[in-house]
Amino acid sequence: MKDIIFAMAVRNVRINILRSILAAIGITIGIISIASMGMLGTNMTASVTDSLSSMADKLTVNPYSGKGGGGGGGPPGMGSESDNLTKKQFKDIEKIVGKYGFVYGVHNIRAKVKKGSDEWNTQVYGLEVSAMRTILDNLTAGGYPSSDNSVLIGTRFASDNDLELGSRFSVGGNGVKVSGIIESRGMTMDLNTDSAIVMTKDKYESLFGAKDEFGQANIVLNDINDAETVTNAIESQMNRREENVRVQDSSRMVSMISSSVTTITSFASLIASISLLVAAVSIFNIMMMSVTERIREIGVLRSIGTQKKEILRMFVYEATLIGIIGAILGMVFSLVMGYFFILIMVGSVKYFFTYESLIHLPYAMAVGLVICIFSGLYPAWRGAQMDPIEALRAE
Amino acid sequence: MTDEVVHLENISKIYPLVSGDVLALDNISLSIKTGEFVAIIGPSGSGKSTLLNQLGCLDVPTSGDLKIDGRSITQMSDYELTHLRLISIGFIFQKFNLLPLLSAYENVEYPYTLKYRKRDSSGRVSKLLAMVGINEELAKHKPSELSGGQQQRVAIARSLVNNPKILLCDEPTGNLDSKTGHLVMNMLKKLNSRGKTLIIVTHDPGIAALADRIITIRDGQIVSDVGNVS
Repeated sequence: MKDIIFAMAVRNVRINILRSILAAIGITIGIISIASMGMLGTNMTASVTDSLSSMADKLTVNPYSGKGGGGGGGPPGMGSESDNLTKKQFKDIEKIVGKYGFVYGVHNIRAKVKKGSDEWNTQVYGLEVSAMRTILDNLTAGGYPSSDNSVLIGTRFASDNDLELGSRFSVGGNGVKVSGIIESRGMTMDLNTDSAIVMTKDKYESLFGAKDEFGQANIVLNDINDAETVTNAIESQMNRREENVRVQDSSRMVSMISSSVTTITSFASLIASISLLVAAVSIFNIMMMSVTERIREIGVLRSIGTQKKEILRMFVYEATLIGIIGAILGMVFSLVMGYFFILIMVGSVKYFFTYESLIHLPYAMAVGLVICIFSGLYPAWRGAQMDPIEALRAE
Repeated sequence: MTDEVVHLENISKIYPLVSGDVLALDNISLSIKTGEFVAIIGPSGSGKSTLLNQLGCLDVPTSGDLKIDGRSITQMSDYELTHLRLISIGFIFQKFNLLPLLSAYENVEYPYTLKYRKRDSSGRVSKLLAMVGINEELAKHKPSELSGGQQQRVAIARSLVNNPKILLCDEPTGNLDSKTGHLVMNMLKKLNSRGKTLIIVTHDPGIAALADRIITIRDGQIVSDVGNVS
């Protein structure tokens, strides 16, 4: 080792190895927490965006119902009982969408359901059977309605009301039979079928009227990037004179969810960085201790011709060494723990080994190292400023 | 005079305390020539340690002029004082004060490395260690593994490594038994006879008796400065 000052720093770290490692572990924990939080955030955003983009290609068009005094921005399928899209409006929408995707009309209403002596209200949709086949392509049991007296029901609706294939109940005073059960679709913008009944368009119209006047038109786009074009086209053509329809773009919701995931994870990173603060205090403490117990040595070093700067350098090296140990341990553990952490929390490590995710490692290491050096600076300065005569006198 | 290595003119040192200023050195004038062996004696609290600190450039006087090797130190910066300590003064302490992290060899080499910014390849360190009677095997050990006498011999080798003008000793035998103390004093005396200026601060009259010149200090003033003819 060429530099004797560096050699002394190394030896002091080695002599107090347990103490040095304990201090380094503080930094390690800090690095692990901010690196894994960062990686978790990236992986979560990536995976949420991924799963949400499957619903981002959908637009819904509702008749504008502002005249009733209530806001028009409620969840789809609600508050639009009195107003429907006219046959002409639906045709216009179909024409505009044209090559961009597939349009289907949706009837919806909250209607009285009766099974035995139980009676309650539930969401009822009316769809063409062809639309059911395209949109509700995942049945857990049974098949699509072969007659107007058959209906599909959501899984939750089935389990809540003890219904199974072939069960009979009545909707709006008319008996129907369960022909199929729709797999859970979760929160979606187009159709929330989990607790609903889906019947044929003809059956719906015979029960609730509104012939060929849909409550809502759903659009499935071929390309998600056309969302804005189609939205603008519908709004400019159909709302030319007055506001007739309202288009909801689910991609906007997706970006909103993504951005709130980012906000949450950066908040978590902020909290995680508190552990680095704790580590900084512990490094500061260790370095103060190292200076204090070596006052006499500092006195000797100074009296035989060691410059203040060299004393400072010796202690800064010491803090840096502790930081490097901590950073290396931190990187290794962040990789391992981050991997399992994300596997458990996100359920997928598909995005773990990407640049955006792994960049958090060197970033956290650098932050840890800088904090370590920074908290060693004051104790080192204190050591360097010591009066050699006073220092030599110390026991 | 050209062969004056230490020159003090009206040196005073005042320590300001809340309870009132303490006058540790009171208008001292003194000069020491190259190759002299001077003992500074006096009771504790007399100011001899303060004088030693001024001579060793660890501190600067409040007033007066102090020249080491022809250079006035009173206006020097900390950096310059430290450099002067490195190249012109060899310290030998009562408690040896070797660096615990370094081996005996590295302790001797340390000031050399500071001065020349490189490790010793000239064999000077080994030669000095051999001269003070520390063999290669012992030189590999840490100070804590050596006896008091061995440590002080390593310290003497360390003080000589940058070939300083002055050897400044603070009770060099204070922590040694009389036999080892003798050995160390003989070694210092031999260095003096080869031309090294030797200044020893002590309260041991036996040590002082070995010097060419004895300066007695009391209450911050020189009360006697006599040649020793014994």
